[in-house]
Amino acid sequence: MTFDLPQTWAEQPVGMRDVYPEQAKYRRDIESKLLAFFEQHGYHMVSSGAFEYVDTLLRGRQVQEADDWLRWFDPNGRMVALRPDMTPSIARMAAPLVASGTKEIRWCYAEKVFRRSNDPASLSWVSGKAAESTQVGVEWIGPAANRADVDLLALCQRSVEHLGLADWQMVVSHAKLTASLLEVLGLSQEARETLMQYLIRGDYVGFRQVHADYGITEDVLGALAQVNPLDHGSLSAFLTYSREDNPTTQRVWKLWDELTEFASVLAVQGLTEHLSFDFTLTRDLSYYTGIIFEVFVPGVGAPVALGGRYDDLLAQFGSPAPAVGFTFEVERLLTALTDGRWLAESMGKGDVR
Amino acid sequence: MITIALAKGRTLEGILPLWTAANLPVPADLDDSRALVFEESSEQYGIVRFLLAKPADVPTYVSFGVADIGIVGKDVLIENPKDVYELLDLQAAQCKLCVAGRPEDKDTRPRRVATKYPRLADQYFRSQGVSVELVTLSGSIELAAVIGLADRIFDLVQTGATLAANGLVVFDEVLDVSARLIANRSSYRMKRNLVDEISRRITSVLAAEVGR
Repeated sequence: MTFDLPQTWAEQPVGMRDVYPEQAKYRRDIESKLLAFFEQHGYHMVSSGAFEYVDTLLRGRQVQEADDWLRWFDPNGRMVALRPDMTPSIARMAAPLVASGTKEIRWCYAEKVFRRSNDPASLSWVSGKAAESTQVGVEWIGPAANRADVDLLALCQRSVEHLGLADWQMVVSHAKLTASLLEVLGLSQEARETLMQYLIRGDYVGFRQVHADYGITEDVLGALAQVNPLDHGSLSAFLTYSREDNPTTQRVWKLWDELTEFASVLAVQGLTEHLSFDFTLTRDLSYYTGIIFEVFVPGVGAPVALGGRYDDLLAQFGSPAPAVGFTFEVERLLTALTDGRWLAESMGKGDVR
Repeated sequence: MITIALAKGRTLEGILPLWTAANLPVPADLDDSRALVFEESSEQYGIVRFLLAKPADVPTYVSFGVADIGIVGKDVLIENPKDVYELLDLQAAQCKLCVAGRPEDKDTRPRRVATKYPRLADQYFRSQGVSVELVTLSGSIELAAVIGLADRIFDLVQTGATLAANGLVVFDEVLDVSARLIANRSSYRMKRNLVDEISRRITSVLAAEVGR
């Protein structure tokens, strides 16, 4: 038996993936369907270049986030990176408009985003950090929290349904509440930061170990899971630890009142059927200031949509304005919509809507 | 339906008593079969599918979401971090990551280290302020020290019997290792009740053991 080496075709870098005729068309159809839906709801499509200066991308973020990016030096010696998401570019584009008096900006986009990864594309698309993936999302700059957050969650839920997904779950958390609750427990800033790092990494074993080391013997994770803004009294699971009335507990109660108000509006609008709150859900992007949320579907190992409120980011770009947005991860959506057969030979014409 | 990836070998043997005590479904005829996938159906959990994988591959199966949860040693999670939730310390299959070697090498400066854990070994020796060459092997690490390929090995030690049989001694204990319950980030949200029920049962068995 002989093994004839095939002709040496050109190789493809690790993490890149070719997409053939019907599959590529299907992906573009989904992008267009989402964009058309966002445009119907008053969002206008924008686009920008695929790379930005690293110091632009890092505004409002931690320096170590750049470890995940594809970076190089431009001809002038400045460091640039392929965008890891669209939010910094949108903030950069919107800031001068906000400064010149524009009260409200609603933009949507469909773009490729990039990260460092050595995993094969088809697997990393469904599991998390893919070298290249497609994001279709919206950013809404101008309105403050609460009612705008409700409208944005509603838009996200309606787009999920518009795509025809039946089985999905939206998980909502808040960027500030969890850290504040840890403060109520009397933990030092250093302890809180360590604990938040464990939560972000998903290391619950380490989390329990650390708070035990700081002398907190209660089941903090269990208590966090009990906290549910749809039930105003559920915060007592936490606040029984600290009976004192001090500025920290007052701040938590104020935040809690806002969150329960938000939750009751969600309930009135019928948005809570596929929605649950979970304050162990955290995000490693440091610019979130308010609600954060993710949408999960069966068979896809990472969220198909994710978003949140980032009220301080625009200030980092020169003109303060509250903002909120979310994005769909298109390749993960395709996996869910085709039951994993998106890139398989068997994806017949019948699957393309 | 829930899919569980189990690390074959030491970890699996170590957690089976705990798993049984927690009254969780256990794959039948696990020992005498060469199969890699087992299915059990139970009233409470629906179909439970077990995947038997090499320990280093368990986090991969879980992070890609083909397994909802997994059981694997902490050593694997530190050496090869993946985006998964680490839910519980099962306090089973316990052992230690150790530096070992031939007794005559004990007081020499480490030069060449054989290991399955190149990342961890690098971090450890850096923290000791020594610069070493790492030789990455995939099993029977002791051999490297016995035949002189390396003057140190950096490996898991459970009973110390293998070390002793090869005339090696432990120089330093680096890290306590035990089996962990891990979960895929999406499965943890989509199948929360099932996952929580499994961890609740295990936790209560562990608590009872502490009380004994």
